[in-house]
Amino acid sequence: MNFEEAIKKSIKSFMSGKLPEKLREVQEQDFYYTPEYFDLLEEDLDEDSEPSAAKKKEDMPDEV
Amino acid sequence: MKFEQPIPGENFTSDTRNMPWHRPPDINEYDDAIGYFIGKLEEPEQQELTFAMLGIEAQITTIVSAVLLQGIRVGKVSIDLAILIAGPLARFIEIQAMGVGMKYDMGIDASDRVMITPTILRAALGVVTDTPVESPELEEETPEEATPEMMQGLMSMPSPQAGAVASTDEQQAMLGGMEEPAEEEV
Repeated sequence: MNFEEAIKKSIKSFMSGKLPEKLREVQEQDFYYTPEYFDLLEEDLDEDSEPSAAKKKEDMPDEV
Repeated sequence: MKFEQPIPGENFTSDTRNMPWHRPPDINEYDDAIGYFIGKLEEPEQQELTFAMLGIEAQITTIVSAVLLQGIRVGKVSIDLAILIAGPLARFIEIQAMGVGMKYDMGIDASDRVMITPTILRAALGVVTDTPVESPELEEETPEEATPEMMQGLMSMPSPQAGAVASTDEQQAMLGGMEEPAEEEV
């Protein structure tokens, strides 16, 4: 297995919700950057993008 | 056998004192490493590069590999930790791409997925049948029967029936015992 293949395998594993459990045991603390964190980040991004679009409409000058 | 790899001990043939990846890495912690690379990915120059690469239909795995190799090259993280943090970085790039509405390809193939067969489908649906469902049979390969010729070793004497034995005259010629024809008298 080369580096590229290892990266693909790691990404696939993370996308399926798996975390490096052995590393967590060694560090004896929970990870901050979990799949849930990125899900929340994605949600925040969606929420931020929607109001900004609405705000742009409000800011537009009324047609004369 | 693989030939595209270093010879064992090849690393001792060069001076490694100035190579960052042979010294302890700057970052050892999982979260610290992800934080560092997310910070790098958020830099305007790196973002431009990321979006440009996505624009030429580069896969996210390729971008992650490039970013991580750069980090390994300068001695920021070890190779092992770089592999471990690839997933979160790929997810972050995915979110960045979604944020700007760019098309992206993760580059993860589904080659190791489970093949859907009639048996698996029946089991998933809870269908139980007494009669076995006929499935297209594959042609079974029957091994050829071993002939006495095939059973011979490399150095064993060939059987005369095989026709591989030279005639007596030919053998004499090979051994140099052939009588030369008498010279004609002048």
